Amino acid sequence: MAKIVDKVDLYDDRGKKLLGDVPITALSPLRNPAIRKICGMVARLAAVDLAGLEKKLQTGAIAGKQMLIRGKTLDLDIVGKADAIASQMKEMLTVEEGDETSVKKIGGGKRLLAEVPNARILADYSAARTNVCAALTHALIDTFGVSMWDAPKVKAAVWGMYPQDPAMAGTAVATLVDVPISNEGPGYTLRNIPVNHIAATVRKRAMPGACLSMILEESACYEMGDAIGPFERGHLLDLAFEGLNANNVLYNLIKDNGRDGTLADVVYACAEKAKADGIAKTKTKMGSGYSIYGTDDLQMWNAYASAGMLAAVMVNCAAMRAGQPVPSSIMYFNELLEHETGLPGVDYGKAQGTSVSSSFFSHSIYGGGGPGVFHGNHIVTRHAKGQIIPCFCAAMCIDADTQYFAPSRTSGLYGEVLGAIPEFAEPMQAVAEGAKSIM
Amino acid sequence: MPQFTPGSSSVAENRRKFMDPTKKLEKLRDIAEEDVVRMLAHRAPGEAYKSIHPPIEELEEPECSVREMVKPTPGAAAGDRIRYVQFTDSMFFAPATPRIRPMMWFNRYRGIDPGVLSGRTIVEARERDVEAIAKEYIDNETYDTARTGLRGRTVHGHSVRLDQDGVMFDALRRSTRDARTGDIKYIKDMVGGAMDKEVTLGKPLSDDELLKRTTMFRNAQGGTWMEADDPEVADVIAQIHWNRTWGGFQPFIKRNEIKGDKDAGVKEMKLYTPRGGVE
Repeated sequence: MAKIVDKVDLYDDRGKKLLGDVPITALSPLRNPAIRKICGMVARLAAVDLAGLEKKLQTGAIAGKQMLIRGKTLDLDIVGKADAIASQMKEMLTVEEGDETSVKKIGGGKRLLAEVPNARILADYSAARTNVCAALTHALIDTFGVSMWDAPKVKAAVWGMYPQDPAMAGTAVATLVDVPISNEGPGYTLRNIPVNHIAATVRKRAMPGACLSMILEESACYEMGDAIGPFERGHLLDLAFEGLNANNVLYNLIKDNGRDGTLADVVYACAEKAKADGIAKTKTKMGSGYSIYGTDDLQMWNAYASAGMLAAVMVNCAAMRAGQPVPSSIMYFNELLEHETGLPGVDYGKAQGTSVSSSFFSHSIYGGGGPGVFHGNHIVTRHAKGQIIPCFCAAMCIDADTQYFAPSRTSGLYGEVLGAIPEFAEPMQAVAEGAKSIM
Repeated sequence: MPQFTPGSSSVAENRRKFMDPTKKLEKLRDIAEEDVVRMLAHRAPGEAYKSIHPPIEELEEPECSVREMVKPTPGAAAGDRIRYVQFTDSMFFAPATPRIRPMMWFNRYRGIDPGVLSGRTIVEARERDVEAIAKEYIDNETYDTARTGLRGRTVHGHSVRLDQDGVMFDALRRSTRDARTGDIKYIKDMVGGAMDKEVTLGKPLSDDELLKRTTMFRNAQGGTWMEADDPEVADVIAQIHWNRTWGGFQPFIKRNEIKGDKDAGVKEMKLYTPRGGVE
């Protein structure tokens, strides 16, 4: 198997060089410390809704919709005792003194943010959620001296419908990643985060948003077995050029076409860049004078096309200051690029195919979703491996609140919590620094 | 200079003309802006634009490099609502086709959200941008008054037989043909609602003229038969399909290492229907 020898220069979202001559292997989710930290925290963070829990117990509506049992209530001052609950939970979750464990109050004790230590995850990331649920249940029973006869109410309010429903409907503990049974398939864990959470985390800045989104998508590709052997280079190139603005290709495409360019102008500029860099070469001249292009490096072509697709989405969506054109932008970027060159669109046709179904689901044709609640863990979005969800995130960053599912409405808490962690707030810089430390 | 799309037939040339923003599309009629607004039925003629957010200049936008590089369209800058215009193109050689419309609009407009459904094509944009697109594309050569329709709902007509006078079928009877002058006029708005005034669009093009102007390959009634008359177009589609399959298999190998690799094209493509088609 050929060794991966490609190197790129990394630039930030304003076209400033961050790091030169970076071997793309230093961007691998398996090696880059910043990416490892991001993925690790995504799997280990849990948010506890104490105020909601208090209300559930007061009303007897303990396990979500229509699960109301009148008379089965408890009046506990949970928010008032948030400090005691948090310190007990921390003590129980800690494995070794000084490990990553933390349980912090948010919003004056209405919520808790818990970080479960790495050591608790032996094989299944669900350990983060189960251990937080269990620690919370015990801390409540202990803090309020709940009797044996009332304890099941506390358990049900914390764990929701578990064990009847393994997805734990109505639980008081939320994690960024969902339980394994909610995954579309093996390895999909990191693809199950709505783009609005990511948009809120980066404070609605399009390029860092796309970067963070792509880090999670590409990391999932590794876990899905999609980046094995000679296929790995393709994933690393896509991540570099689309997610990390390698060689400033993405930035320049937007800058050159941002003032008055159309989506098609980005297509042609992308094709020209690929020709100028020797990636696309004339293969056959047809009777009408039309040239079919070929390539000696299809993975590199795909990386250029991926960067072009994100640039095209950004130019078209930002001109409209709206997130809704993202599926049509993906579709026609690829359609126009294929008919301009004869070479395949992003992910060899899969991005375009995915855009068809996501158009329907993002425009309330089937159901009432919007691009903001999209993630890669869905039957209509999963097929392109890594490249399209960053476009959805960028589009929702740019949206001037024209969407019903806006990041401010769906993801305020995630923005507040994750946005305070440097690797999440500035992923482009963090990955460059991480790469530098292992080069 | 972009190539846009392959082929040497009049269909391919028309497609390139529609897509090339340096080519001005021929204006066949001049419908008053007020009448376009009337037919769209999003606002009453003369009524102010409603907005969904304050003008961009008054908004506190995040410090986002993409927003700084990309200028909003006039409608986005003003905070207009997002509205739509939708066209149905008859398969009986309407000048435009559902597929060519987004390819043409994405070459000519910024900040748009088109969608092709079965036989009709919608484009959503900020309200004043939609009105500009609607006016231009009702006025120009992509619109034939008999074979193209402005249809917000009950859009059927694309693949339905023509009415006896050669006009595309419309279940809502939004337009009518003036028996005396031959003019097509809209008597209902885009969604079939009442209008305070009829809007005359003018006379349809002749069948010969439509065949010259169409962007549709269709092997019937004298249409251009892609496989036989312009095989280059089929060859490029085959090439794209080949390349997609190559990438889906092993994108790290050279294409000429694949068994059965040929140069572009599908030689001696089997043609299942005779020239003239089967109706």
